[in-house]
Amino acid sequence: MKNLLREEKNGRTALLTRNLVPGKRVYNEDLLLRDGVEYRTWDPFRSKLAAAIIKGLPEGTIGVGSRVLYLGASTGTTASHVSDLVGPSGMVIGVEFAPRVAREFVENVARVRGNVVPFVADARDPSKYSVTEVDVVYCDIAQPDQTEIAIANCRRLLKKGGTLILVVKARSIDVLKDPGVVFAEERKKLEGAGFKVRSVIELSPFEKDHALVYSTI
Amino acid sequence: MDESVPGSAEFEALRQKSIEAAEAAIREASSRPDLHLVQAIQALDDTDKYLNITATRASEWYGLHFPELTQMVQDNVALCKIISEIGSREAFNPEDLGGRGFTDKKVEAIITARDRSKGGTISDGDLGRVKSLATLAVQLSSLRDGLNGYVESQMKKVAPNVAEIAGATIGARLMAKAGGLDRLAILPASTIQILGAEKALFRSLRTGARPPKHGILFQHQAVHTAPKWQRGKIARTLANKIAIAARVDYYRGSEDPSIKAGLDKRLESIKERYKEPPQRKPEQRDRPRREGRPQRRGKFNRR
Repeated sequence: MKNLLREEKNGRTALLTRNLVPGKRVYNEDLLLRDGVEYRTWDPFRSKLAAAIIKGLPEGTIGVGSRVLYLGASTGTTASHVSDLVGPSGMVIGVEFAPRVAREFVENVARVRGNVVPFVADARDPSKYSVTEVDVVYCDIAQPDQTEIAIANCRRLLKKGGTLILVVKARSIDVLKDPGVVFAEERKKLEGAGFKVRSVIELSPFEKDHALVYSTI
Repeated sequence: MDESVPGSAEFEALRQKSIEAAEAAIREASSRPDLHLVQAIQALDDTDKYLNITATRASEWYGLHFPELTQMVQDNVALCKIISEIGSREAFNPEDLGGRGFTDKKVEAIITARDRSKGGTISDGDLGRVKSLATLAVQLSSLRDGLNGYVESQMKKVAPNVAEIAGATIGARLMAKAGGLDRLAILPASTIQILGAEKALFRSLRTGARPPKHGILFQHQAVHTAPKWQRGKIARTLANKIAIAARVDYYRGSEDPSIKAGLDKRLESIKERYKEPPQRKPEQRDRPRREGRPQRRGKFNRR
């Protein structure tokens, strides 16, 4: 079963994920039928993970049946596609701190999708959501110490050989430094903590001053 | 660790528990009175904007018909009240104007202006629209006053010390910028001092231009009425005391008059000590450059 489709259209790549809950939209995205199966369009301008996949992140990184810890679930746009990717045999533990956006995440994503477990909690305190070891930690939080937070979460919850996908927002870490310098520094921090950095993917033109660091431990 | 298998009954039970806990947390966060106060102050500032736009338009439009009146009644809301209640120029009469609290001299001036007005005629259709606009402005003004009173009374309950030091509306705006009383209570005073001046702050960091002295705090009477060279010191003192006040409000929740007393004393001593503008030292003009990109010589950092 393939949960991710790639389509070339007018020289552009479009991504689709197989809808876990056919007929249900999360954020007014398009629903399309392919060979009788319903897929949801995944917009790289709205989702940094989609942008990274288009720019070369290996598709199998988040595979069928994966257990994913998603830090910074926000309103659940990307989290819902992760939920599609892992399918009914996987799970997504979604952590969001801000009540305003967590409301939409719980209502539109967690309530509707049987593989999503929501937590309104601070990613600085993993004890609040330590329910199981995971295969993948996906971290997209706008904090100056986001890398340290991600590492602490991996120490506690990521299994051996697991994957960390870290979205680095250069502007949240230091507004003055050149983004390239920030990316290199965060990469060093990961390597110092024992991670093997597989690739650093800059997300332009979809997102400015953002990069996604793909690493394993 | 609990190894629940996705799809199993145990997993589903865990998931439901987790959803309930998340919803409870969201519900609790949504009933905090300081968040309602943040909405109220933002509604107040929005209403101010609508009021200005609406009243200005009504006054401009009505000015085609009776320009002299728009000159004589400076307060836009008072003008809109007259427009909505009296209407066309011909309907103005001395008795009615007298009842509106105008002096005899002013009434006379308005009546004279009525008779030799340079304004054009206005159709019933146009006058009807202008009157509707003016009525809306009057209603917005009373909505504004209601919100203002509400913000003041709520601030006294939610953050009495911040209200005392910063004033209710400024305190509420700081709270809105910070994202709630809890956030304001953990901000450093230096951040509170420049809340609302983010653009100037980042420009300063990027280019080495002079950093802002005050953001929202500029609206405080102690800051904007002070001479220029004292404002930075006053804003800094004020921010220090607001930071303390916010912490007392959030963690202790009782009034503490000593904060205000300390502020007044310090403001007094600033006024005393820095009575005269500072002498400019020649070497001060050549400030050392910051690291980073070369300094931009722009509108805001001429030396």
